[in-house]
Order: sequence, then structure tokens, then C-alpha cells
Amino acid sequence: MSDINPALETFSQEVDELLAAMEEALLGLEGTPDDADCINSIFRAMHTIKGSSGLFGFDDVVAFTHEAETVLDRVRNGERAIDAELVSVLLACKDHTAQIIQHFLFNEDEPLPESLHQQSRALIAQLTGQSAAVGGMPSTQEEKADHFEVDDNTTDSSDNWVISLAFKQNALRNGMDPLSFIRYLQTLGKINEVIITMPTLPRIEDMDPEDCYLNFKIAFSSNADKRTIEDVFEFAEDDCDITILPPNSRQEHYLQLLADLPEDQVKRLGEMLIEIGALTEKEVAHTLNEQCADDNLDTKPLGEMLVDKNILQQPVVEQALKKQEAVKQKVNKESNYIRVDAAKLGYLINLVGELVISGAAMRLMVDKHGLSDVDDVASTMSHLVEDIRDTALQLRMVQIGETFTRFQRVVHDVSKELGKQIQLQITGGESELDKTVVEKINDPLTHLVRNSLDHGIETPAERLRAGKPEKGTIQLNAYHDSGRIVIQISDDGKGLDPEKIVAKAVAKGLVKQDQVLSKSEIYHLIFEPGLSTKEEASNLSGRGVGMDVVKRNIEALRGSVSVDSELGQGTTVTIHLPLTLAIIDGFMVEAQKERYIIPLSMVEECVEMNSDEWQIDDTQHYVNLRGQVLPYLRLGDFFHKNKKHTHTQRESLVVVRFGEAKAGFVVDELHGENQTVIKPLGKLFENLNGIGGATVLGSGDVALILDVQGLIQHAKKQVNPTLALSSSV
Amino acid sequence: MNQLIHKQENKTELMAQDQLRQYLTFQAGNENLAISILDVKEIIEINTITDVPMTPDYIRGVINLRGNVVPVIDLSARLGRQSSEITKRSCIVLVQVEYKEDAQLLGMLVDAVDEILEIPEANIMPPPDFGADIRTDFIQSMGRVGDEFIILLNINRVLSIKELSQLKQVADYESGNASKEASFSALN
Repeated sequence: MSDINPALETFSQEVDELLAAMEEALLGLEGTPDDADCINSIFRAMHTIKGSSGLFGFDDVVAFTHEAETVLDRVRNGERAIDAELVSVLLACKDHTAQIIQHFLFNEDEPLPESLHQQSRALIAQLTGQSAAVGGMPSTQEEKADHFEVDDNTTDSSDNWVISLAFKQNALRNGMDPLSFIRYLQTLGKINEVIITMPTLPRIEDMDPEDCYLNFKIAFSSNADKRTIEDVFEFAEDDCDITILPPNSRQEHYLQLLADLPEDQVKRLGEMLIEIGALTEKEVAHTLNEQCADDNLDTKPLGEMLVDKNILQQPVVEQALKKQEAVKQKVNKESNYIRVDAAKLGYLINLVGELVISGAAMRLMVDKHGLSDVDDVASTMSHLVEDIRDTALQLRMVQIGETFTRFQRVVHDVSKELGKQIQLQITGGESELDKTVVEKINDPLTHLVRNSLDHGIETPAERLRAGKPEKGTIQLNAYHDSGRIVIQISDDGKGLDPEKIVAKAVAKGLVKQDQVLSKSEIYHLIFEPGLSTKEEASNLSGRGVGMDVVKRNIEALRGSVSVDSELGQGTTVTIHLPLTLAIIDGFMVEAQKERYIIPLSMVEECVEMNSDEWQIDDTQHYVNLRGQVLPYLRLGDFFHKNKKHTHTQRESLVVVRFGEAKAGFVVDELHGENQTVIKPLGKLFENLNGIGGATVLGSGDVALILDVQGLIQHAKKQVNPTLALSSSV
Repeated sequence: MNQLIHKQENKTELMAQDQLRQYLTFQAGNENLAISILDVKEIIEINTITDVPMTPDYIRGVINLRGNVVPVIDLSARLGRQSSEITKRSCIVLVQVEYKEDAQLLGMLVDAVDEILEIPEANIMPPPDFGADIRTDFIQSMGRVGDEFIILLNINRVLSIKELSQLKQVADYESGNASKEASFSALN
């Protein structure tokens, strides 16, 4: 990206966003085929890309998007119905547009390769050819159908266009024939009634046979839009005052259109009304002229004049004004967003991290020297630093919804490929988490969703046989739970078969034939390398690589993953992740002169270890905590086995909770809460379980951050190596 | 120590060809060793080294280097000898090793840093096939200084991240804690 100029970079970003919006809208259309919002947004994407590409002289992009835009315009005008096929072609168009733009971004001066040209042509043919075949015939039928419908409704006189034609006196002299216009009007619809008025008719002796005294009021029913109707009288413009009042049913249509108008920029009232077709340009120009010509001091606003002149109904104008106001507000709000380079943000977060550390160092010095007057200032500052930390971290928080919606496309494509009917339900998309986490969770999520699509959901025939609805459902859900985010991927497919998994695991030598495993232990086996229960590998999944990678990726984010399943009912994969990777609230403890940080969100309580009340000896590693068995680890002993330890008189038990399980850590001293800036330990400690990272204390020393879950698993393995697999907790 | 660093900086202005033949000599496990000066980033004195539990002996711990956490390898232990005792003369030599196209900063705990030597190309010999009690692949070559030979270490082998992070499990082995692999092979 570095070798393209900034304008192009902005362009490429804009294109990315537009195409993403377009894809989302296209997929949205699958559910609600005539959602005007969606259609508009697709049209807008193509239209804007066309415009911007023109600026940079990317003629091939312009040519291609122009075709797509034309088709979309027809869709927008209701001339062409959206169907699954068209959606697919448009999705392909979207991808293709991205491709050719990429080509130009990186090889600006090179012409488009022939392969891309061919693809362009093929897609255009698909777009337009289809429109001839699918759109051509039925659309005329449709028109006819509509026509009859209108005929049926003619009894409702309120549903007519009301066209007033006030011919000027010399209309006939100028070669106008009012009747010919009215006759021509009939080609557009049905004239239900014509009222002829003669307001200027002079006395018979003053009448000039060559003058025209007739005014017409025509009740007209048609599906044509205002512009088309106005065009009928194009030649009469100079000799006739024309007002065209839309029918009442149109009024609702206009209101609807107004509501659907894109809210990207503030437009003038006239422009808005033209855009929805309620007004024509001529009418606006005319009215504005009149407004200017009126020397009267209290000129009426355009809206009022339009209503007065009977060009538009009051509600439409009111709605338009309201809309204008709303757009103004929204645009104001949008201009408050600033695009920031992620690297700059990362740098800021780093600095804040350093600030937190130096704040702690200052705190230490203040306490050490007992400077009571500095104390106040110091505590004010640490409050501020805390606020800065929170705000800085908030900057990186993004909603997970966008990541989720991306899977609509995956589900759409894959289900088509597999011949399955699958819908994706998304809940909790507004849950926020750190951008880096979101980025890194994308791959594991994709894998899990694909797994569900491929292995989980059955074919429609199988589903019907199993008494399930033909259409399978995959659910993506996210919610916050005790300082972590939980992401669930569930499907209502065939579920995991424990026997198959065990058989496979035995075949692979992962477990012994006679080993007794609990259900959750069995399910957890699927995260072992080389285990796939699918007999045949497809191009999606099934090669048995993946689930172990998924697990590793998630654990690299200090998260955990678990599976639950019911044979024949479906599978749920649950992922627990930390909200952020940069700073956590930590709880500092000391064991054998080394300091350790336990993530505060995992600390349940701290209890004093009283050797009188608690029967602790070296053989037994659990205590009775209010009637419950609580296993514990003596941190000092566990970490430094080979050294002799002297236990201090007062030890404390820190009770930690992870998921549903609880455990205790015995430590020598508690140092309380502190803000912990997580420093990565680096590649060297990649394989180290139980230590999640390190932090620099105010004193300049390094303290290690415990990975509670990893530590407990590590301890479990040591107690009973054969249980190494049952790492699920 | 500062003198050493100054020396190093002055020499950087010399021709690259000359630099190729400059080596930093130091002691680890009662042996004179050297590495190419181009591998050395910095030499620092020892402050506090925080022990990292559940790691083999040759991983001495981590230090705070201007806000970054850097692992420290006990060179003597890594070469299969006793763990170093920290004395007044102990130093940490910071080196950078490549791993998966990433550079990783590592500290190397040595007993003492001696000097920077220029060894002419002619005095550099291939390593002996056997005889040295250091793994042969750790030795890049032998340098003759006067009547003695100094082992020139291949730092990317000695401090190979891939190996260091792998060997951790062997160490687990040794201390009697069966690793995952161990349990699997036991089951078979």
C-alpha cells in the first residue's frame, strides 16, 4: 500500500467500504427481496465507485460499473425483479470490481489483462442477457397486470393523478392542439374523467375563434411517474400552465421513498423532492423563479408555495422537511468521526502503558519518602492516568457485529456450493472487544462456521428424514461475562458422535481402547491434531487440520474454547476471550520472593490460610472451603521444586474462578490490585503453559502474569499424566 | 564496561571487511569464547533477573530492558555446563537472533566480558570434528590468538529460538514431569 499515493489510498478505502456495504445489502436482499434500502445501497455503491474511478481515469472500472449500475437502476425503478440468480451475479460483480480496482491500484499504467476483460464481458453478458431474458418478457406482463389493477381501482377517484392544464389564449394560434395532448396521455394510462372549465371565457361578441379559452382538469390513472407525465406536455409548456398533482396513493409512495433516501449529504428541499419523483426539475425551477420574482418581503418558503400551487400534497412536503432536518443532524454527527491510522493508535496505547508504569513508580517514590503534600497530587494524577488508560483502550474497542455479518457471505456461498439450505442468525453483535482480538478471532471463527456448514448441518433430505425443518440454522452469539467476551457458534445439525470420535482417537493412538472418558473429554478430543470424523475430505474442511489450529489460535489470545453437542440435535462451540490484550486489572501476590500477577477478573476471593482451622499437610492438596472441596496449588513449591522452602507464618489462599471451575493458589503475601500492562514474553516462551505474559512493575522489576487456566491444566497433567487429554475444565 | 562500548562504536566506522574479523571475547563456564561483533547489540550489567518457572535451567529468566521484557539465557548451562553463579564481573550480552523472519532480542548471561579481538582471516580454522565438549554445530570456527584457540560460537545455533522453545519439554522430561508427547508415546 505504501507505493500508492494518498488520494488513491483514500479511494481504495472508500471502495472497500462501499463494496462491503454492497455485499451486506445483497445478502440482506436474500431475506427481503424488495427492501428499498438495500437496493439503494447497492446502487449507490456501484454509482459512487463509477464516479470515483472516473476521477482517476480508470476507464475499465467505469465501463464495467456502468453496466452494473444500469441494471441496478432498473431494479430500483421496479422494472426488474431481484431474484437469487441476480444476487449471485451481482455478488460476482462486486468481487470482480474489487479485483479490477486492485489491478489499477498497483499497476496504474498497465492496461487490464485480457483475463479480467473477459471476466468483465462475461459478467456484463450475464447481467444484461439475463435482463433481456428474465426481465424483458415478464416485465411487460407485469406492466399489463398493473394496468388492469388500476382499471379495477378507477372507482376510487382519489387515486388519480390530477392534471390541470390552463392553456393560454394564443395556444391554438401557436399550433397547439389540446386534444392531441390528451389523446397522447391515454397511451400512458387511463383517463377517468375530464372536466373542462372556461374561467376566462369572454362575452360571445368578444370571442376570438382562434383563441383558446379552455382549461382542463384531468383525472388520470397511470403507473408512470411524474416526470413521464410531464414530458407529455413538453411542447405545450410555453402556452400552458401545467400542474400535476400526484394521486393520494402516490403520496404514501413518496413518503416511503423519502424515508429511504440516503442520508449521506444535506440536500435542498427541491432536490430531495425531485429525487423521489414527486417533483420535476421544471416545476422546481418554475416555482423558484416565481419565488424570486415575488418582490413581496415575506416570500413564502418553497414548500408552502408548492402546496399552495397544488403541485404537491402537504404531508409529502412536511415529511421532506423533516427528513432534511434529520439528515442535517446525521451528517453533523458523522463528520465527528475521524479516521485514525491503527499504528498511531497502537503507539498511543504503548505510551499509555508506559505512563501507567511510571505512574506506579512515582507512587512508590511518594510512599517511600513519605511526602504527604505530594500525595494528593499523586493520587489525582493516578486517577487521571486511569481515565486515560480506559479511554485509550476504549478507542480500540470495536463491535463484533461487523465480523459476524461477514459470515453471511460465507454461509450464502458455502450453502449453495453444498446444496444445503442454511440461514445464519446473529445476536449480540453490539458486544465490543479490542480490535486486535477481533482481527485475530476472524480465522478461527471462519473455520468453526465452515465446520458447522460442512459437517454440522445435514442436507435438506436428511433433515426432513430426521424430522427437522428443511432449512438449517447456524447461530452466532456474543455476550460479556465477567470481564471476558463469550462467542458461541451453534448449529442445529447432526451433532458430534462420541463413539466415532473415540474410535478415531483410538485408531490414531490418542487414547487407549479401554480408557473411560467423560462426554466433555471426548468432545475435547476433536481439538487434537489429525482428528476428523468426516470420512471424505471436502474442499472446505475434513482433512483433520484445523480444530487444533483453532484451539491454538484462541489460546494464543489467552482465551479458551469448549464444545458441547447432542447427537442429532446440534453442536455448540463456546469461545471465551479477554476483552483486550494490552492492559488488565491485575492482583499482585508474592511467593518465595517472586511477584506474580493474577488477572483480577479471575480472582474470586482471598482467604487467610490458618493452619489450625485448615488441615494442611504436604500430602493433601485440597481444602474445605465452606463445605466445598477446593483443590489448591502452593505457588512457591510448584514453581521451584528443587529448592527448599520455608513457609511463612501467614499464608493466604487466593481463590480463582475460570468458567465453572474453581481452584486456590497458596501465596506468601498479597500485594493488592494494580494496573498491569501486559508485555509479551516473546517466541521463546511460546510453548510455556501457565504464564500468560509479563509486566514491568513500578520498581523496574519484571513480574510474571499467571495464566490461571494453563497453570491448572499443567498441574493436572503432572498429577495424572494419562488425564493430559481431559484438559477441558 | 563503558570503555568496551565506546570501543565498539568507534570501530563501526571501519570497513565492513575488517569488522567481519572482530570478535567479542568473554568467559562462560571457565572457558574463553567469542562471538562476532556484528551479533552484539549491547552489553549491560545485571540488575534483577526475574525467574520464569517451569523452564529449563538454561533459561535464566527475564529482565526489564527500557520497558521491554527480554529473556536471558544462561550460556554456560546452555553449553551443557553448570549454571553460572552471578558475580561482580557477570554481564548480559544482548544479541539479536532471527526467527521466522522476526528478530528476537535475547540476553546472554556470561561470567565476564574480556575484550574485542581482531583475528586475521588466516588465523581462523574450521572446527574440529570432535574433541571439543561443546556441540559441534554450536561452533562456527576456531580462532587462533597467539598460541591459544578460542571457540567462535555460531550464535544463531546456540540461541536458536526454535530449539530453545522446544527443548523446554525435554527439560520437563528430565525433572520427571511427563509431557504431553511422553504420555502419548506411553499410551502407544
